[in-house]
Amino acid sequence: MDKWRYIAKRLVLSLFTLLMITFVVFFVIQLPPGDFVDTLVESMVAQGERVTEQEIIQLKAMYGVDRPFIVQYLDWLSGILTGDWGVSYFYNKSVISIIGETLWPTIMISLITLFITYAISIPVAIYTAKHQYQLSDYIFTFLGFVGMAVPHFLLAILLMYLSFKWFGTPLMGLFPEGGIVSWASFLEFLKRLIIPVIVISLSGTCGLIRSIRAQMLDEQERPYVLCTRARGVSEKKLTYKYQMRAVLNPIVAGLGPMIAGIFNGSTITAIVLMLPTQGPVLLKALRAQDVYLSGGILMISAILVVVGTLISDLLLAVLDPRVKYIEESK
Amino acid sequence: MVNSVLKVEDLKIEIKLDEGMLTPVRGVSFEVRENETLGLVGESGCGKSLTCKAILGINDKKCKTTGKINFSKDGSEINLLEMKKDSAEIRSIRGKNISMIFQEPMSSFSPLYTIGNQMSEVILLHMTKDKKKAKELAIEALRRVGIANPEKRYNQYPHEFSGGMLQRVLIAMALVCNPNLLIADEPTTALDVTIQAQIIELMKQLQKEYRMAILYITHDLGTVAQICDRVAVMYLGKIVEIGTVHEIFKDPKHPYTKGLLGSVHKIGGNNERLFSIEGTVPLAMNLKDRCSFYDRCVFRDENKCNRPEPCLKEVGKEHSVACWLYESNEPHEKEGI
Amino acid sequence: MMRTKGKTNSSERVLRKEERKLQKRIKQQEKYFMSSQWQLMARRLVKHKLAVISFVILAILYTGVIFAGFIAPQGLEDYSATYSNAPPSKIHFIHNGKFVGPFVYRYDTEFDKFRNKIFVENKEEIYPIKFFVKGVPYKILGFIESDIHLFGVDNSNLPQGKDPVVLMLFGADKLGRDLFSRVLIGSQVSLTVPLVGTFISFVLAVIIGGLSGYYGGWVDTVIQRIIEVFLSFPTLPLWMALSAAIPPGISVTKVYIFITIIMSLLSWPNLARVVRSKFLALKKEDYVLAARLAGVSDFKIIIRHLVPGFMSYLIVNLTLGIPGMILGETSMSFLGLGMRPPATSWGVLLQECQSISNIANCPWKLIPVIFVGVAVLAFNFLGDGMRDAADPYK
Repeated sequence: MDKWRYIAKRLVLSLFTLLMITFVVFFVIQLPPGDFVDTLVESMVAQGERVTEQEIIQLKAMYGVDRPFIVQYLDWLSGILTGDWGVSYFYNKSVISIIGETLWPTIMISLITLFITYAISIPVAIYTAKHQYQLSDYIFTFLGFVGMAVPHFLLAILLMYLSFKWFGTPLMGLFPEGGIVSWASFLEFLKRLIIPVIVISLSGTCGLIRSIRAQMLDEQERPYVLCTRARGVSEKKLTYKYQMRAVLNPIVAGLGPMIAGIFNGSTITAIVLMLPTQGPVLLKALRAQDVYLSGGILMISAILVVVGTLISDLLLAVLDPRVKYIEESK
Repeated sequence: MVNSVLKVEDLKIEIKLDEGMLTPVRGVSFEVRENETLGLVGESGCGKSLTCKAILGINDKKCKTTGKINFSKDGSEINLLEMKKDSAEIRSIRGKNISMIFQEPMSSFSPLYTIGNQMSEVILLHMTKDKKKAKELAIEALRRVGIANPEKRYNQYPHEFSGGMLQRVLIAMALVCNPNLLIADEPTTALDVTIQAQIIELMKQLQKEYRMAILYITHDLGTVAQICDRVAVMYLGKIVEIGTVHEIFKDPKHPYTKGLLGSVHKIGGNNERLFSIEGTVPLAMNLKDRCSFYDRCVFRDENKCNRPEPCLKEVGKEHSVACWLYESNEPHEKEGI
Repeated sequence: MMRTKGKTNSSERVLRKEERKLQKRIKQQEKYFMSSQWQLMARRLVKHKLAVISFVILAILYTGVIFAGFIAPQGLEDYSATYSNAPPSKIHFIHNGKFVGPFVYRYDTEFDKFRNKIFVENKEEIYPIKFFVKGVPYKILGFIESDIHLFGVDNSNLPQGKDPVVLMLFGADKLGRDLFSRVLIGSQVSLTVPLVGTFISFVLAVIIGGLSGYYGGWVDTVIQRIIEVFLSFPTLPLWMALSAAIPPGISVTKVYIFITIIMSLLSWPNLARVVRSKFLALKKEDYVLAARLAGVSDFKIIIRHLVPGFMSYLIVNLTLGIPGMILGETSMSFLGLGMRPPATSWGVLLQECQSISNIANCPWKLIPVIFVGVAVLAFNFLGDGMRDAADPYK
C-alpha cells in the first residue's frame, strides 16, 4: 500500500530529524564562550568568595564540562533518550521537572491559540475570497497586514497597559492565586487567557487568512471549476464542496509551521506577560548559561513542532488521495 | 428545413483591460441543427472558446456579453443570455440539456473526489434523487463509453486514469443526462493521435445513439473532416465562412479558409512546401475599420477591400462567406445566415 | 505593405500618413508584447497604489538611515540628566503676542504633590529653532564629516553656566536623550540588519537550493533533510539561544555582524525551498535541455538560464522576508539579547517599555513602535504589490 509506505517513511524521517535536532541543540547551547563553571565562579568571586585554580578544575570535572564536545554530546543524548535531561544548575532541579511544570501551560495555550486561529481565519478567508475586490475584502486585507506587522511583544505591552487602565490591575500571569478551584477562579483564568491568546494568535490568524484567501482565489481559476460549473453545479456547492475541500489540504499541511509560529509568539509574549510557560524560563536559562535547561527547552519545543508536523503529514495522507503527489510536491 | 437546437445571433464579447477595450468576439451568428455536428474552426485566440463558454454562461465575470443565444428547450425557444449567471434556471440547463467537454481531461475533474462521486453529483442534480439509481446510471454510462470494469473504476480517483480514459469518463459524464447539445471544446487536443481517433469514433457513435447535436470546436481541420457536417471558420472574433464540410473542403472561398486548408498536410499529396498564412492574428483591440484579414490577405484588392468589414453573404447552397472579393461593389444590408 | 504606384501626390501623402499611423500602432502593440518581464512588472507595480506609497515611505526611511547624523539634532552619546523622561518639546510661534517664528521654551522641573517629577515650560526666554545649526560632529556614510545639523535649537548665545536647551520632537528617555535622534540613529541598525541579512540568506538560498534542485539525487536528499531540521525549530527560541551566545564585551560592529548572520542563518531554509522547487520546474524546460546539449557548463546554465527564470519570484520572496527580520532584530534587542548599549536600535529603544509604569507616565516612549510597524507594513505592501505584478497570470 502506498499509504502505509508513506506513513512509515514519514515516521522514520521524523525520528531522523529529531536526532539531527539534538545535535544542533547541543551545538547551539555549547556555543557561548566559557561554560557554566565560569559563570558560577564569576558569581562566587562577585560575592566575595575566593576560588583557586584547583577548585575550578575540580568543579569542571565535577560538572563534566572539561570533556571533548562529542563525548559531552553523546552523554547528553543518551540522557535525553533515557529520560535524564540533566540538572539545571540555576534552579538546582532536574530539567525534566522544570519542563514538566511549564509544559502543560505551554501546550494548553498553544492548543487554545491554534483553535482560535483556525476558527477565525477560515471563515474570514472564505468570506474575503468570495468578495474579492469589494470593500470588505480590502478592509480585512488591510487589517490582516496590520496584524502581521505588529510585533508580538509590543501588542502584549499595549494590551497589558489597556487592561491596566480599564480594570485597574494589569492582566498578567495565567493562573489565579490558589489555582482553579471555583467558578470565580475559572472565570479569572479565562480573563487572563484573553490577552495572551489574542497576542499569540494575531499574526498566525492574519497570515492564515491571507494564504487561505489566495488559495481559494487560485482554486477558482482551476479548469475543473469551469467544468463543474458547466455541469450545472451551483456556486455555493462549488465553494463548499470543491474549493474548501481543496484548500483543506494546504491548511493541514501548514499545521507544522503554524505550531512553530505559535511557539515563536508565545515565547516572547510569555516573557512580557510573565506567563508560567517555557518562554521566561528559557530566557533566564540562556542568560545564566544554564545549558542543560536551555537545551532541554529548545529540545522540547522542537519535539512538539516535529510531532505537529508528523500529525499534519499523517492527516494529509488520510485526506489526499494522491499521496505520491504530496511527496513530489514536498 | 431541419429544426435548430441552438441559434446564436450577433454575439459580442467585450473585456475591459487597462490597455483598452478588447473585443475577442465581434458579432458571431450561427445555428446548430438537430443531430448535426457543427465545427467551429480557427486559430488560437480567434474567440471560439469564449463563444462556446458564453453559451453556457460560464465566462469570466470580466466578459461583457451581448447578443442572443436562443436554445430550443422542449419545443420553445429561450434566450440563455437573459438568464442570471448562477440562477437555478441556467443551472438546470447546464449539464442536462447542454453539456460541455473540455480540452484537458486531466484538469477537468477535481482531484480530490472519486470519478463516481463527481458523476453521480450531476445525475443527482438533473435526473433522480435516488443515490443508488444514480450510481447505476453512472456505471452504465461508463460502460457505454467503453470503460472496462466500470464498477471498480467508479470508486477511483482521477489520477488513477490515463488521459484518454479520463476523456471517455468526461464524455460519459456529459452524456449521462441525455443532452440535446454537446459542446466539445477541442476534446482531443491534449491526447495522443491514436487515442484521438478512438475518441472521435466514440463521439460519432454516441451521437447516433443519443441523437444529439454537437458543436465541435477545434483548430484541427483533420478532425473536422472526420466528424463534422458543417463548418464555420472564425477569424478574429467573426465567422468569415460557413458551409457544409464538403463545400468548404472542396471549394473554399475566403482567403483565410484557403490559407488554413493550404496548411493541412495531405497524405499522398505532392511534396510541395506547406503553405502558411503570413503574420499573426492581431490583437482584437483598436481595430481599423476595414476587413480584419486585410493585412495578411494574399488576394487583397486595394480598390475592393479597403472598406469596412464585409458581412456573410451566400455564395452557394448552404455556403456563405464574408469577403469583399465575392461582392458586387454596392454596400449591402446585413443578412441572416 | 501598401504599394503606391501611379497615384497623385496628394493621395500619396494621405497614404503615407496612413502608413505612419499604422506603423505607430504596430509599434505600440509590439512594445506591449515585446516588453521584458521587468518592464511589465514595473508597469503593473506602479498601478498598485499601496505598493507605490510603501515604496515612497521606505525611500524616506532609508534617506533617514543615510543622513541620520545630519537630520538628528542630537548625537548618539548626548544626554542630559535634567531632561530625563521629558515629554516632547512644544514648538511655539508666538511669544508675548508677537510672531517670532518657531521656538521652544526651556523646561523647568518641579514636583507635584505625589512627588512625581513634572516638566513646566519657563516662558521667560525663547530659544528659536533654526536650520543648519552647529552641533555634535558626525559622519555620513562613514566618510563625509560635518557638524551642521538640519535643524535644532540655537544655543550659541547661551548665558554662561546654563544647560543647553534641546529640541525633543519625540520627548526624552530615562537618560534624557532625544528620542527623535535615537529613532533615526537606531534605524541605522534596525533597517540595515534586514537588508544585509536578506542578502546573505539570498546568496545561501540560491547556492544551496540551486545545488539541491539542479543536481537532485542524494545531494537533494541531504540538503532537504538539513532544511527540514532548520524548519522544525521555532525560530524565536533558536534566535534567542544563538543571540545569547554572542560573547559579551565585543565591539558594536561585531555584535551587528553576529546578529545579521543569525538572522540570515534562520531565514535561508524557506528561501532555499523556493529556489529548489523553481529549479526543479525549470530544469525540465526544453531551453535548458537545449543549452545542456549545446555543451554549456552547469554553472553557466544555472546563472544564465535558470536564475533569471525565477528572479522576480525570488525578489518578491526576499522582500516579504524582510519584515520578519525587522521584527526579529527588534524582538532580540528588546529582550536584551541583540544590540547592546551604547549602540541603539528600535528594539533597544523599546526596552524601556517593558514596565507598565513607564508607558503610563511617558507614553511617547512607544513612538518607536510606530516606526517598526510602518517599516514592516511598507515592506509587506511592497512585496505584495510586487507579487501581484510578477504574477504572469493576472
